[in-house]
Amino acid sequence: MNYSLLGFLAAGLGLLGVLGWLSFSNTQRASRAEGLRNERENRHISYLPQVRQALAPTDYEYLNACGRVDLANRVRKDRRRVARDYLAALRSDFEKLQHFARVIAVMSPEVAVAQELQGVWLSLEFSIRFRVIYVRLLWGIGPAGAISDLSNLISALTVRMETAISSLGEGAALAAEMASSQNSMDPSG
Amino acid sequence: MKNLDAWIPCLWAASVVVQAIICLILIVRGHFRTLPIFTAYLALNLCQAVFLYAVYGRYGKASHVAYVCAWRSEVVTLIAKAFATVEVLRLVLASYRGIWGLVWRLLTVTCVGALVAVGIAARGHGDWAMMEADRGYHLIFATAVIASLLLVRYYRIRVEPTYQVLLAGFCFYSGIKILVNTVLQQFLYKQYVQFDSIWQLATTLAYILVLGLWAVGLARPLPNVSQAGAIMEPSVYRTVGPRIHRQLQTINEQLIHFWKIEEPRS
Repeated sequence: MNYSLLGFLAAGLGLLGVLGWLSFSNTQRASRAEGLRNERENRHISYLPQVRQALAPTDYEYLNACGRVDLANRVRKDRRRVARDYLAALRSDFEKLQHFARVIAVMSPEVAVAQELQGVWLSLEFSIRFRVIYVRLLWGIGPAGAISDLSNLISALTVRMETAISSLGEGAALAAEMASSQNSMDPSG
Repeated sequence: MKNLDAWIPCLWAASVVVQAIICLILIVRGHFRTLPIFTAYLALNLCQAVFLYAVYGRYGKASHVAYVCAWRSEVVTLIAKAFATVEVLRLVLASYRGIWGLVWRLLTVTCVGALVAVGIAARGHGDWAMMEADRGYHLIFATAVIASLLLVRYYRIRVEPTYQVLLAGFCFYSGIKILVNTVLQQFLYKQYVQFDSIWQLATTLAYILVLGLWAVGLARPLPNVSQAGAIMEPSVYRTVGPRIHRQLQTINEQLIHFWKIEEPRS
């Protein structure tokens, strides 16, 4: 058996596999995604103060100082779960921004190849990193302190995004309208 | 195994009948106006079957003339198939000019890339030149279409079920051809005298399956092709697009920091 044979076998099976996935996978993204307009009104970032407070080390320190080590551990575990949920919410923010970029590209009569490829690459990169960090949090070695930094960043981005959308007037408003109709689009038919 | 040859004409006849039915559906329902190249592709396939039937009858299936006629006529239908696929993709993306431009470029790059890969893989296979070329074509074709479909999915563009069935059928048949050509060439050529019959049987069965799916898909009315095109000024894309990408990039970079900072363990 040579490499050429293996290559063609892998290519044939791979192509059929991808085709099967494209044909039969029902995109849950359609239900997960919400209209851009809804998103502008309801952001996970608004829960930042609560999450930040939950992640503060003072509570653990206090419980440890009181000799309630078991309780401190349980609280830490619970709050790590909250951190994971919050991280998932941040991903949702990323995906919604990305969705907006896609809608604009779909509606535009011309698109820049490099920019779109960058978008695809970013999406891939983010997805991998997110999973790695999520697993780290799951194992209890997660950098909970960094969550607030990330939240601040997304908060700032959100504000800038709002400003950008507002300044773009009619075209962007139309994009927001289209975003909700795009949500129902299911490429697998 | 001995009666394998007897099955081939039956399968041929079945595929001709199904193709004729699809042609009829295309004409009766008026789909040929929307899908002229696809209709031409099926008509060419029908003509090829009739032509080869005559050639095999006159010169014999194993003759050199039959071999040359079969592969040369195959080239014509393969070219028509490529154009028919582009036609369907064009219909899917008719309303999305920008994305269609992107898909066009992707198709070109994929084809060139796959062509190089096939060229490298096919080196030193002189005896199997036609089989290699056929397999290479199907690999390029399926890769290009799958890449386009992935892009369509990425942008969450809705593909009408009829067009989806047509594209999936093309890809499925090409995928099966790649596998059949590869497996038969490697494992069955020396073991079985009826290698050619097995090859015919496998590929014709796959083709009939695809034709059946197409017949069902085309029995439905075709969606209206919206020519409305893009509804946003290109300047919006040029202004907002890079801004969003910069933001996504920054979030991504933050994740790297997220990864590096570790919570002190108590």
